[in-house]
Amino acid sequence: MLNDIFIAPFADMIAAPDFLLQVLWEGLVSGILYALIALGFVLIFRSSRIFNFAQGIMVVFAALTLVGLHAMGIPAWISVALTLGVMFILAVSIERIVLRPLVGQPDIILFMASIGITLFLIGGGEIIFGGENKVMITEELGIPTGDTVLEPWGGLLILQHLDITVVLVASALVAALLAFLNYTQMGRAIRALGDDHQAALSVGISLQTVWVLVWFIAGIIALVTGIAWGARAGVSFALEVIAYKALPVLMLGGLESITGAIIGGLLIGILEKLFEIYWGQPLLGGNTETWFAFVLALFVLLFRPQGLFGEKIIERV
Amino acid sequence: MKNFAKLAAAAVVASVVAGAAMAESLYTPNLSYRTGPFAATGIPLMNGQKDYMSMLNARDGGVGGVEIAFEECETGYSTEKGVECYEKTKGKAIVTQPWSTGITLQVLPKTNIDMIPILAPGYGFSPMMDGKTFQWAFNAPSGYWDGADMIVQFIESEGSLEGKKVAFLHLDHPFGKEPLPVLEAAAAEKGFELLPIPVGLKEMQNQSAQWLQIRRERPDYVVMWGWGAMNAGAITEAVKTKFDMSKMLGIWWSGHDADLAIVGDKGKGYKSISWSFPDVDAGVMADIKKHVVDAGMTESNETEMSGVFYGRGVVMSMILAEGIKVAQDHFGEANINAEQLRWGLENLNVTEERLAELGMSGMVPPFATSCANHTGHSGGWMLEWDGAKFVKVSDHLTPNTASYSDIAMKSAADYATANAPWPVNEECGG
Repeated sequence: MLNDIFIAPFADMIAAPDFLLQVLWEGLVSGILYALIALGFVLIFRSSRIFNFAQGIMVVFAALTLVGLHAMGIPAWISVALTLGVMFILAVSIERIVLRPLVGQPDIILFMASIGITLFLIGGGEIIFGGENKVMITEELGIPTGDTVLEPWGGLLILQHLDITVVLVASALVAALLAFLNYTQMGRAIRALGDDHQAALSVGISLQTVWVLVWFIAGIIALVTGIAWGARAGVSFALEVIAYKALPVLMLGGLESITGAIIGGLLIGILEKLFEIYWGQPLLGGNTETWFAFVLALFVLLFRPQGLFGEKIIERV
Repeated sequence: MKNFAKLAAAAVVASVVAGAAMAESLYTPNLSYRTGPFAATGIPLMNGQKDYMSMLNARDGGVGGVEIAFEECETGYSTEKGVECYEKTKGKAIVTQPWSTGITLQVLPKTNIDMIPILAPGYGFSPMMDGKTFQWAFNAPSGYWDGADMIVQFIESEGSLEGKKVAFLHLDHPFGKEPLPVLEAAAAEKGFELLPIPVGLKEMQNQSAQWLQIRRERPDYVVMWGWGAMNAGAITEAVKTKFDMSKMLGIWWSGHDADLAIVGDKGKGYKSISWSFPDVDAGVMADIKKHVVDAGMTESNETEMSGVFYGRGVVMSMILAEGIKVAQDHFGEANINAEQLRWGLENLNVTEERLAELGMSGMVPPFATSCANHTGHSGGWMLEWDGAKFVKVSDHLTPNTASYSDIAMKSAADYATANAPWPVNEECGG
């Protein structure tokens, strides 16, 4: 037993390094997508203290809008632009109709409001687009769908061009977001609001503008995530569950930390894949990915309740 | 006071009228799921079911002159919501169509007490084939264990399974685990290694870990027991890892055109066992077009209607309608109750001639049920994806029920013991 836990997995890694590379690559691809979804949560939480339950359905809604617009005969990239427009209108509507009347309400009320938004988008999405599985317009968007086969150490490493594109685009998006948050006035406004609402408001930062902006950014993230996952297994309401994979990322990285979301996502993506392949499947019958990330997050929380990168809150009574 | 009396009188009249209207229809609720993660696979099936009943109502005024009240109760494939739907509809229902193995398992004991037949064509709890133990449950025309046996027979026809490795990629859900006893028994008997690979509900669209395992283990075949987004996820991963698609076979719920359309030509060779086959030129489809589609009553579309799942939905409703007709003929009354429908479902005899009369030749193999046999064991065909649609690549296959009847009888007996006191129909043979 000890051999199976402490020696055999590492022996397997050394014996088939090409396979280990494949596992790491698949983990990286998953991880960067988890990080992207987690970023959507973090941005909204930082600026408005809302745990956005609707992030998952926003992924579905954005992907369905894109595919639906294209099905109406609109060229692919114009459909992307129009989808971004729809996500902007959604952000404005959420701010005006849902959030503005709830300013100053307890966090749990805002959380419940995000559940309401989720149910609205599920119902609306099904009425407008139907629940059938749809094919993502991968080729129309010019996303490569072939693969590159490498033979490291005489083995086999398959790199899907779609996955490479996803990694590059997601990385670029994350970098752009970081640059936006750190080097632009509006980005700094978002961060200021995250640090202290009252202080930010007192220096003239518009709460409404920032909320629209972060929900719109969450919409952009949802669209990119929807394209990436939709290209893998079609566009359907099942995409919504992908967002739940971001929950342990948030627990691990900290709900307020952008760095935490990125590193947490990558860590969970890679570690859960390594654990599943080298320990979960041989010893536990597989399907450990459903719980591994949560156990890992729980373990971290035992030692750092605020997550790896979360802010330590000291409350005096 | 005068107004109150008027209101009370109106309420009485309304309830009498409503009662009369209700008596003129047979209430056959369908615990459907057009929403949630499994909607994509549910919708074409539900559309097929609904359109067939709408066609019967429009063309024949229902069955035996009584309209079919085919009402859907949305479950989202959630077992909890499914049980709620059952409880909500059972008062006036003559049948319940639970539409998931999880819901079937939950309502199975209740139907004994409520005396409502369960109709679960091609799904549910496989030992339901034993009508003696499961008096109120029917899964005709074929059960999961039939499907598992036919898949094993098919791959064995390509060469001995001795020493081979078969991966069993399945949804980690009661549905996915259902065929395990039969597959394990077949592995022991035929000398192949069975490698169960579960896929969690949250991992349906990201099965890279499962397919890395398949790459590492190099199985000779992959048998898939998938549903909803799991099918498309598995097929895209299979293409990605360059698995030989001709060595990948699925159960009938893993043979949905829209799932394969995502990979198109790259999915060529993928197979799915099926007890139904779509035929857009069949007489029944012409009638559906005339009475339902042209009347603007369908929620389906041309592409969906040519697919396997829509055609299967049509066959499923035909089984229910035939059960109603058999009961009506036997009892000599049109407004049958649940108990009479149970008799009808137990005495189905859908022959080639009857299928021809129904305009459904070739859409389902002939089958018959009996007091002891609630599955019918119609068998089916192996279908193969040709890049654009599923085509038949086998003659009519039939399950070797003898190979697992002992397991079924034991499972049924175990179930009855675990749920004692469990009523058994002693009048049944077998």
